[in-house]
Amino acid sequence: MQGIIRTIRDGSGFDILLLLLALVYLVAFSAFPIIYNIIMSLQTVDMFTIASFDRPFVGLKNYYDILSQPLASTIFWNTVKFVVLSIVFQLSIGFGLALFFQQDFPGATWLRGLFLAGWIMPALVVGAIWKWLLAGDFGVINYILMSSGVTDERIFWLSDPDVALYAVIIANVWLGIPFNMLLLSVGLAGIPRDVYEAAELDGAGAFERFRSITLPLMRAQLGAVISLGVIFTLQQFDLIAALTQGGPANSSNVAQYWSWQLSFQTYEISLGSAVSVMMILFVIVVAAVYVRSTHHEHSY
Amino acid sequence: MLQIEIDNLNKHYGGFHALKNIDIAIRNGSFVALVGPSGCGKSTLLRTLAGLEKTSSGDIRIAGTSVIAKPPRERDVAMVFQSYALYPHMDVEHNMNYSMRLKRRPRPEIAARTRAAAETLGLGGLLDRLPKALSGGQRQRVAMGRAIVRNPKVFLFDEPLSNLDAALRVHMRSEIRKLHERLEATSVYVTHDQVEAMTMADHIVVMRLGVVEQQGSPLDLYDKPANKFVAGFIGSPAMNFIPVVVGPDGQSLVIEQDLAQPLVLNRKLNPGSRLWAGLRPEHLSFAPVKGDLALNADVESVESTGSMTFVTAGVASQQLVVAHSGRPGVERGAVIRLHISLENIHLFDRETELAVSG
Ligand SMILES: Nc1ncnc2c1ncn2[C@@H]1O[C@H](COP(=O)(O)OP(=O)(O)O)[C@@H](O)[C@H]1O
Ligand SMILES: [Mg+2]
Repeated sequence: MQGIIRTIRDGSGFDILLLLLALVYLVAFSAFPIIYNIIMSLQTVDMFTIASFDRPFVGLKNYYDILSQPLASTIFWNTVKFVVLSIVFQLSIGFGLALFFQQDFPGATWLRGLFLAGWIMPALVVGAIWKWLLAGDFGVINYILMSSGVTDERIFWLSDPDVALYAVIIANVWLGIPFNMLLLSVGLAGIPRDVYEAAELDGAGAFERFRSITLPLMRAQLGAVISLGVIFTLQQFDLIAALTQGGPANSSNVAQYWSWQLSFQTYEISLGSAVSVMMILFVIVVAAVYVRSTHHEHSY
Repeated sequence: MLQIEIDNLNKHYGGFHALKNIDIAIRNGSFVALVGPSGCGKSTLLRTLAGLEKTSSGDIRIAGTSVIAKPPRERDVAMVFQSYALYPHMDVEHNMNYSMRLKRRPRPEIAARTRAAAETLGLGGLLDRLPKALSGGQRQRVAMGRAIVRNPKVFLFDEPLSNLDAALRVHMRSEIRKLHERLEATSVYVTHDQVEAMTMADHIVVMRLGVVEQQGSPLDLYDKPANKFVAGFIGSPAMNFIPVVVGPDGQSLVIEQDLAQPLVLNRKLNPGSRLWAGLRPEHLSFAPVKGDLALNADVESVESTGSMTFVTAGVASQQLVVAHSGRPGVERGAVIRLHISLENIHLFDRETELAVSG
């Protein structure tokens, strides 16, 4: 007993203890749910069999069933649009703002702080606010668009199947901008000013400096922001729940929300699991890209 | 022919007056050192020459045309930064030929000029290395190579050697100087190290607190410092200063608060004026010299570098550093005779600190 206490206090025992704690945590809260999820996606799980582990094994049948549903292609393309458009706009606006705040002007820090508002607010609250902004009859957005003459008619952002997905994307872009801006600001601040000055003396104009200095030096940060953005966007649930619940008629439904609906609304739990397993596979690929992109960090 | 003319240049950072009425004229092909203590505005002046800082008033002309309103890339100047400022994501070759690629020069020309510069600087085998895989000295050479390939009207250096170790620094000094002689391009070289300035430049500009204190050839500054600051800044070890008062005869200097014998000079000075007497360590000796005056001194410390010996000697309440080449054979605590070469005494007004002749 004395010996054990001593190894824990003085020897390698303490390191092992810390390692074990982390391992136990990972197994209990990450590995187990993921594996359990994968197993469920290979079984038939419904309301009646959910309590027991002894369920019929059906192989890839759930995957086949889910992919052959007519809804699957709608959901797939919605998800692609949701992720791609969200990332493109979050990234370009976030990068633009980061570059803008990189210029030293009075109040820059103060203004930049304001942009973080979106980040500290719960997505559910953001969803509620956007629901007001986007409301068809009394929403601010419609008011602005109509009084400035951009459109003559009200746009029913959340109830028109043609625009509902884009309404959710707009709100999600707003939500993601601060994260993009902040991470890219950190990267920009890390590029020494004299590197730009050297380029200026070498004859590079502002655009050329951006193209041949900023972009390549920001490669690691851009990779990180894009891959994390993809992961966060695939996790975005609250906003959809608050704004459209995937509706109307699944026009704004995306994979993560569908998976939840299958599992917890219609109790087709094995189908919901199959959707989430496919998402996990995709996220693993993205995470691998992220890890690789961090290898490109430059030291100055 | 003048290559760079700086006329009455002023620079303000908000309420801070960083450069005050700077006037400098630089001949084509000369090597000019801007020297002064840290924070005196050397980098600021260099950066205004490059166009990286805006000026508040005054004019800068390069090869006869005013460049005040021109952006850096239209001034045809190249700069070597203290931090080297290499492009971290480009290998040595691309670091050096970036400017030519921007100008879309023909490929064979780019390759030839890059190779020539790399050869000159001994970077031949390193062309495909990234900056992070280079030593400090190699990075410094790449930074120089980047400037050389451009063949600019003016080279600007901002303390380019301050991040190198002492031996390499001394070596690079002569390399840069040789390179300058070969390229014959006008160079402005910022350093806080007066030895660097003295050994490399043919024209030195001494600055303090944003003001040009004096400019001229290295030996001019050494032999005829215009004020006490320049006298103390140029020369190593620094000049000794003793407070003195001119006696009623206008020729003798009485060391203040001391009853030791006065120093009698063959000059006409204002009786009663309060001065600093400046004595270079190498103008003090332990053996008699022509036209000297000897004082009793206590040896307070002896430091030898082998070839040179620096002795701190107490004369009454003053401490004087004596530079002696070789080994003088004096010991701490000994009382010796210190010989002062009177014709080499510099005098400065104690109010204005300006040099006093007479
Ligand atoms: N961007 C700036 N804003 C305000 N003050 C500055 C700026 N750059 C330099 N200074 C001030 O100007 C003075 C001269 O600086 P500098 O030219 O860098 O000195 P050095 O002779 O050491 O190169 C210093 O007092 C410095 O604090
Ligand atoms: Mg400086």
